[in-house]
Amino acid sequence: MSLPVLVVDDSAIARKMLIKALPADWDVEVTQAGNGVEALAAYRAGKASVMFLDLTMPEMNGYEVLEAIQREDMNSLVVVVSADIQPLAQQRVKALGAIAFVKKPVSTEQIREVLGQYGVR
Amino acid sequence: MTFVPYSSDHVDALQEIVNVAMGRAAAALAGVLGTFVRLSVPRIRIVAAADAGRAVRVLVGEHAKITAVRQSFHSDLAGEALVLFGEDGCTDLADLMGYDDCDEPGMQTELLLDLSNLLVGACLCGVLEQVESGSNVSFSAPSIIAERAYVHALVRPDALSWTHSLVVELNFSLEHRDFSCHLLILMPEEAIERMRALLDRVLAAV
Repeated sequence: MSLPVLVVDDSAIARKMLIKALPADWDVEVTQAGNGVEALAAYRAGKASVMFLDLTMPEMNGYEVLEAIQREDMNSLVVVVSADIQPLAQQRVKALGAIAFVKKPVSTEQIREVLGQYGVR
Repeated sequence: MTFVPYSSDHVDALQEIVNVAMGRAAAALAGVLGTFVRLSVPRIRIVAAADAGRAVRVLVGEHAKITAVRQSFHSDLAGEALVLFGEDGCTDLADLMGYDDCDEPGMQTELLLDLSNLLVGACLCGVLEQVESGSNVSFSAPSIIAERAYVHALVRPDALSWTHSLVVELNFSLEHRDFSCHLLILMPEEAIERMRALLDRVLAAV
């Protein structure tokens, strides 16, 4: 069965870049969300075994998404993909349950590395 | 001159590029101030030069009283950068930077010039590098062009020889502090066209 992957970013270009960086040999079913509200809806619909999450977004930002899914059940491997490279931002998202923080732009190798540790390969 | 606006793809690509550059600038600012910096979603407008002042007022807030630092930049893209500090920013800043006395005018000026220089440099170099246009960028020395002035006095269309302006607005604010500032990047029509070509290249590569 394909792995449900959710890509959350307010920028369509950023989503496209991330999807392009997904390893070509992975069997994935990609869903896209343009803000946190859409992301939560897709998450609740079971479309996010893996979630790539931007932080700076209108409507509902990445921190708020993490807080919401942590309250629910945290049934997703969340990789935060952000331009905000402050050390404190990285600490915060990990405290909120993200498995990794990678800075934009993301490479295929980084995706393999962070998710490989969780058995996704 | 006839002027073709950016497509939504161009705006999206530029916004993402600015976002990444802003992240670097915020990290530099956080390093200096030792506090967490909140980032905004960058806002981008292309306006006729006559409307540039109004666009800035809308982005920054009509009734804001600000101190403004200006710096121009030249590479294969050229334009103006403005950093606008709110009225109460300085006291908090001086405290964060460990200065005792912000009332001393020289100190205050130096602080604002230094921070502007840091933000403008990090942001513009970040943008130019991503569109592969960053070699040989030069900056003028930062100078204060308005002190505790209303924002409507800031951008005077008659003082610009431009027909159109690309306006990029970023907001940096600190947690648990009153301080916030806007960074505005203004670019004239030649730079708008050059940037369009650079963005085409970025878009083609995705």
